[in-house]
Amino acid sequence: MKYTVLFIVGILIATAVIAGCTQQQAAPGAGEIKVGVIASLTGPASNVGKNMWQSAQVAAEEINAKGGVSIKGTKVPLKLVVGDDESTQQGGQKAATQLITGDKVDILVGGYSSAVTSAYEQTIAEFKIPFVVTGASSPIITHRTDIDTSYVFHHCPTTDTYGQYTTMFIDQVLRPAVNKKLGAAADRPFRLALIYQDTAFGKGVQTAVNNTITKDKLNIVLVSQQSFKMGESDFRTPLTAIKATNPDAVYIAAFPNEGAPMITQARRDLGLDTIFLNVENNDNAQFYKDLGQYGEGAIIESRFSPYTAPAGALADAQSTFKNSYNAKWGTFPDMMGASTYEGVYIATQAISNAGTTDKTTVKQALADLSMPQIIEAMKGGMISFTKDFRESQFDLWMEQLAYDQSIGECRPKIVWPDNLKVTDFALPSWYKAGTA
Amino acid sequence: MDLGILLQILFWGIYAGCIYILLATGLNLIFGVMKIVNFAHGEFLMIGAYITATVFLLTGLNPYAIILISMLALIGIGAVVERLCFRPILGTGKLNEIFLSIGLIYIIQNGVAVIWGDEWQSVQSPYEGITVPVGALNVPLDYIVIMVVTTAILCGLYLFLKRTKTGREMRATSQNRKGAMLVGINVERMDVLSFGIGCALAAAAGTLWVVSGQIFNPYMGSIPAVKAFAIIILGGLGSIPGAIAGGLLYGIAENSAAYFLGGVWKDAVSFILLIVVLVIRPTGLFGESGE
Amino acid sequence: MVVTRDTIVRYATYAVVAIAIIAPLLSENLFLLNLVSLMLIFIIFSSAWNLLACSGQGSLGHAAFFGIGAYASTLIAVKAGLSPYITIFLGAAVAAGIGILLGLTCVRLKEWFLAMVTFGFAIIVQTLTVSVLAPVSGGWDGIASPRLVSPAIPGYQLIEYYSILVISIAAILFIRYVMKSRAGLAFSAIRENELEARAAGVDPVKYRLLAFALSAFIAGVAGALQIHHIGYITPEIFGVDLSFWPITYVILGGLGTIAGPVIGTVVLTIIWDGLRLAGLTFSRYIIIGVILILTIIFLPKGLVDLPNQLPKWKEALHKMRGKTKTAGSPE
Repeated sequence: MKYTVLFIVGILIATAVIAGCTQQQAAPGAGEIKVGVIASLTGPASNVGKNMWQSAQVAAEEINAKGGVSIKGTKVPLKLVVGDDESTQQGGQKAATQLITGDKVDILVGGYSSAVTSAYEQTIAEFKIPFVVTGASSPIITHRTDIDTSYVFHHCPTTDTYGQYTTMFIDQVLRPAVNKKLGAAADRPFRLALIYQDTAFGKGVQTAVNNTITKDKLNIVLVSQQSFKMGESDFRTPLTAIKATNPDAVYIAAFPNEGAPMITQARRDLGLDTIFLNVENNDNAQFYKDLGQYGEGAIIESRFSPYTAPAGALADAQSTFKNSYNAKWGTFPDMMGASTYEGVYIATQAISNAGTTDKTTVKQALADLSMPQIIEAMKGGMISFTKDFRESQFDLWMEQLAYDQSIGECRPKIVWPDNLKVTDFALPSWYKAGTA
Repeated sequence: MDLGILLQILFWGIYAGCIYILLATGLNLIFGVMKIVNFAHGEFLMIGAYITATVFLLTGLNPYAIILISMLALIGIGAVVERLCFRPILGTGKLNEIFLSIGLIYIIQNGVAVIWGDEWQSVQSPYEGITVPVGALNVPLDYIVIMVVTTAILCGLYLFLKRTKTGREMRATSQNRKGAMLVGINVERMDVLSFGIGCALAAAAGTLWVVSGQIFNPYMGSIPAVKAFAIIILGGLGSIPGAIAGGLLYGIAENSAAYFLGGVWKDAVSFILLIVVLVIRPTGLFGESGE
Repeated sequence: MVVTRDTIVRYATYAVVAIAIIAPLLSENLFLLNLVSLMLIFIIFSSAWNLLACSGQGSLGHAAFFGIGAYASTLIAVKAGLSPYITIFLGAAVAAGIGILLGLTCVRLKEWFLAMVTFGFAIIVQTLTVSVLAPVSGGWDGIASPRLVSPAIPGYQLIEYYSILVISIAAILFIRYVMKSRAGLAFSAIRENELEARAAGVDPVKYRLLAFALSAFIAGVAGALQIHHIGYITPEIFGVDLSFWPITYVILGGLGTIAGPVIGTVVLTIIWDGLRLAGLTFSRYIIIGVILILTIIFLPKGLVDLPNQLPKWKEALHKMRGKTKTAGSPE
């Protein structure tokens, strides 16, 4: 009875306190640039999210160490605010509204998983706040037409881009190499098998591969297209099906926790001695560790690697970032971290160019942006967003793994394209080509 | 259709079934004695996996020897969980234990994530390079050992239940709790014991999971546990032969589904199978009518 | 005494509703408005789950109905160009229809069996959505869903909030009506003892199906509201976490009561989002788990029962202290 009343009063007080907290945060900081970072700090994507948030903090520290963001000649300190999307749609929406309406951030950076990101894009469109997406890989993010996405800028390669790059690599490098080994005619169709995660990410890669082959009329046949559930750890059955079709190579659209066991099971349990091509997000330290000796000869499409860097000035920039990240957090950044690190720079550069935090002006500054590449290789060495879908243009590379007995893991070397490569692609001695 | 491929898929199905059988047998043992089901059973598999990996990395012991360590550790953890969580709610309604398990899942998964981190991990077995020819396949020795170890554990459990005094008391409790009490069996002791042994079986599954080079993270236990649970429902609650038959059936059905329908059907097909069986026989394949 | 208590509860309810109506007009905190909107949706969802549980059927896959309602409403709104205000109920009707079908397979099943079947059903629905139904559902990519109130209208957030508030109050009143009606009595009779219920002339099959249909309908309304609020739907909506949240809310608040789901959702949302704003990550789930287990053991009837339990605890505490002094060996 009276407890019930007390209880309800308690609830109301608690609500008021929380409201008070958020209100307090909402107080506009005097002379501060506020960048909101949306990352998955909890839930299944939490380790990617942590990496993104920590990388953003490294960038912010560097910017503040130099005095902050320069706006019309004066330096203004930068403040980062994080929103945890909990790897869910409603969590993402809460995080976005909290950052936009509670923390009153000037610009947003981050966003991982297309499903989660698309859930708060609506909020972004309504509040017309510039958003630099640095983690979600689906092209849908900026291609949607049901809402106004003109404030959303995509700074990380999409499944379209990497599916296309990898297929081009297969056509230009792998196909001739296999033909040469077989002594076959140059018009022998290349037998490619595809195994993809049954999600927006995996299906995106599948679509991109199929489209590239049709559009460019490539001499590649997809002999098998297998799928698996996200988080799967036993791939023996789909691999058995793939092996039965005798492929020349297998393209894997998976996460590192799936890719590594898959290649191990294929080589060790099934004797599928072929070339495995992997998507960029596999290029992290854990993947090399899990893969061990079985990674020999495999290909990873990449833009930021723990163990290699493209020839030239970018190598220094990348190792500086890795070192300062390691000094601060004791671990090494992944590629989603790298693009988020750049995302903070892009966001502040745009505000600096705009000379104001006015959202529309900043958006226009992002659209007109043309700044030198930071740590990742960009087309033409410049970061700028395309006019149609506001996507930045990455220069992706292919690296081949070689087993290093002394460390018991494989290490990558860039083999394509010509302007970034360190060495040439080579078919391993144990490689078995497919047969029709 | 190539017969060789079917045989290979069958082999992978049996291998996958081993993990399910160990989990399902443990669940069934607990159900038999306590008449409760623990949805968080997969979390014990996960803890077993982490203990195995940690002991292996620290001491470099033979991973198959670690199975004993992880089983012993989980008997202890299981006993504590039974005392603190399940004993207070015994007999308070069947839905409560399901809800309690949800709480346990939250605590254990995230507790492990705090202690060990939430990254995927894996351990390389020292025998990884050794393979044995089985028909058309060259199978790693580890897989054969896993099947042998599973069989050995099941035989051990059978002997324990049939030949030892405690085992007989446990079966008595499972057949008639009140009767067992009347003849002087300490049923509460049986509760702790059966819960501990059930958890130990999950731990064994966890060790085998790690040894076979499968990767693991704090959330990996849920899906195998739910399937194990579906298996004991399919096989009939409390029926250990049902658990074994159901485990093998699931391993094979899933792998066939992945082959014929596509990987996304792997989980769905288990539950379609379950629903079909339950519509025909509401108490499962080997279950008795009524409880 | 009894009268006083009812009166107090009634006035407290009026007060809460009044605050819910007036507060948004005074404060312009859109974050809070969004948070409360999502919370109201979850109140509807947990109440739906609770209604089914009242008939003795504990579902572990209610996200299936939440998602079916959302997908159906979105698709009808997109294809037929109807207003979301109408499609919410059409979508929910689809969920109810499918709920009856699932209910038919479940009528002979008990506790764990039912739990498993419903759990599996959510997985099956998700699989169908991304495979066979992909041409209409958009597969894993999902599809955009029209907003409940178009953002072009000024003050649309407030209009949307009040719409959700009205629908949630209506849903709770409806559930209250059902639980107090003949059907509600039949539900609890079946839950307590099916044999006796049958002997008393209650047809368990009929009422179980009714519970399934009503619960699926209300869950479908909640799902549709959420998706028209968020504006985009993907198959993640069928996830396990969305099936577990209503259970957690109801258990904490009080199973089988009308106030339980409301109080549980409000309290847990405050704790959850408070901890989130405080920057906790994994420990948030651990805290929720501990709260859940403590509630089941010490407050089996949930927070609504706290007023009755507190004096008992006090008494027990006194006794324990007394014992400690004399015997020195407390349990």
